[in-house]
Amino acid sequence: MSEREIFRQLAVQRWLFEEAALLDARRYDLWLGLLDESIHYRIPSRSPMPQQDVKDFSTWSVERELDAHDGVSLIDDDLAGLHRRIGRLQTGMGWAEMPPSMSRRLVANVLLRDVAPDGKISVTSSILLAKTRSEERVFFTGERRDRLVPAGDGFRLCERCVILDDAVLVAENLSLLF
Amino acid sequence: MAHEEYVAADGGWIRPEILSDPALYEMEKERVFGRSWLLLGHVSQLPEPGSFLRTFMGEESVIVTRDRSGAIGAFLNACRHRGFQVCQEDRGTAHRFQCRYHGWVYGSDGTLIGVPGEESIYYKEIDKRRWGLAPVAQVDIYKGLIFGNFDPDAPSLTEFLGDMAWYLDVMLDRREGGTELLGPHRWRIAANWKVIAENHCGDEYHIGFAHGSVFPPDLGPMRATPIPGAREIRPGLGHGLGVNIYPDEMKPEEWLNSGINSAPPHVVDYYVATHDEMVQRLGRQRAHMTLIHGAVWPNFGMVPIVNSLRIIQPRGPHEVEMWSYCLVDRDAPPGVKAWLVAQSAASFGPAGAFEQDDAGNWAAVTKTSAGNMARKIPLNLQMGLGHEERSDRFPGELGLTASEINQRGFYLRWAQDMFGSNAA
Ligand code: FES
Ligand SMILES: [Fe+2]
Repeated sequence: MSEREIFRQLAVQRWLFEEAALLDARRYDLWLGLLDESIHYRIPSRSPMPQQDVKDFSTWSVERELDAHDGVSLIDDDLAGLHRRIGRLQTGMGWAEMPPSMSRRLVANVLLRDVAPDGKISVTSSILLAKTRSEERVFFTGERRDRLVPAGDGFRLCERCVILDDAVLVAENLSLLF
Repeated sequence: MAHEEYVAADGGWIRPEILSDPALYEMEKERVFGRSWLLLGHVSQLPEPGSFLRTFMGEESVIVTRDRSGAIGAFLNACRHRGFQVCQEDRGTAHRFQCRYHGWVYGSDGTLIGVPGEESIYYKEIDKRRWGLAPVAQVDIYKGLIFGNFDPDAPSLTEFLGDMAWYLDVMLDRREGGTELLGPHRWRIAANWKVIAENHCGDEYHIGFAHGSVFPPDLGPMRATPIPGAREIRPGLGHGLGVNIYPDEMKPEEWLNSGINSAPPHVVDYYVATHDEMVQRLGRQRAHMTLIHGAVWPNFGMVPIVNSLRIIQPRGPHEVEMWSYCLVDRDAPPGVKAWLVAQSAASFGPAGAFEQDDAGNWAAVTKTSAGNMARKIPLNLQMGLGHEERSDRFPGELGLTASEINQRGFYLRWAQDMFGSNAA
């Protein structure tokens, strides 16, 4: 790793950690400020890998599964959609988060995959989200595939795809963002 | 125990224990899920010979297949040797299902076609014709929707749907090409299946309040003020739905651009462009109607206003697995389908603006109903009781925008299936 690459790795990691801290603290007002206008936030719905696709390690990829699926997503939001999603929680009638759930996001396995000629960085990370609400405690794990665009001292998020590790969600809803 | 102990003779109250009692749930497996027509899927999910899907009837795993001849059948997903589930995938294409325990092989028509060691260790004595997968006794299709019934003596699907079919056509039969089912999203909710099914069947009352976060504040509990043209309809047999009825002179673009319907121009254009076809197929009366919510007894819920169909799969008395699909016109342009799929998820998927707030309510109701004291204290279902109306234009009985006419019908059907009393 060159010095430059190490520097970039640390900067991206630090940005992801700060972002997670904002979401844990429910500072959605500040979180929305981290988004690029072109943001596409998606959580595809999962389904187990078809049997014929698991024999060969070289073709055993989550892409195969996502392609085979109907392409339905749990969340498929642009910037306006995310604003609506978050605005709902501030109406005083967003019961799913009243009282708010307690949450903790652990971000790990941060890997820079690519830097495009326009400077956009593709980065993947693993996330563990623990959520407690009334008597219920649930855990989500997944991979986040992000594209960050450099902006000022940091970055703006222009793409996020969250690949959750559940075909059937064990949670009664998805009221938090990853 | 007589049914009057659980459900009032007029449907005006229920005892909460029916929402949580394990012994009643065991009875439901036989008397409700063992005898009703249950939604299995849609023909679009089985496009070619060999296509299959895996689903549930009650808690039992079932495979639905299209065999080499193109016929659709359904079978218990249980090997006849030791009962291992011969199908381990949600959907796919296969002409044979090989059990991975000892390797018995079944065809897509359910017949046993291979037994390892048939000659050497079974002495060629096994009669393979007798040991095929157990078929679901009756399978039938209504306008693309595939239903199954475990009971060979159950009345036909047409009889079971009754007048509900007339309303289902509004979403299933708009166009020549029929519909297509996309999805599902699946998630678990700690609630009794009936709490969720009755909500789909008839609960307009909660929309303005439980879903207040989605509506402008001044709309408030809007369903408390009856809206002209918005009615609850009870077609009978335990089914129910809520509809919007538009005046003859109203143009489709007017209702497509109002309320939570409001769609982008390319979607409005599509519905406007296909409106004449709908009028031709269904008549003006049904072409000037949108279905808002509804349920087909027992566990097929729908929110057609956002194209959402759901199967409320029971998982014991206190839990369900929600399977939520998006239903679209098969011949709609890809851009229209994509918008409908996204809108359906954004409102009624597990991350949807509506659905997020429902789950907690249903779980709380179920939890209360299990309390040793609370389970005996009746719950009130009297809204609009005695004010049911009839109309020569709409089959069934009508209630106001908000009325518990359909919840009463739902629980009376439950009492009838469970204890043989008369349903409304
Ligand atoms: S259980 Fe299926 S072959 Fe033995
Ligand atoms: Fe609801």
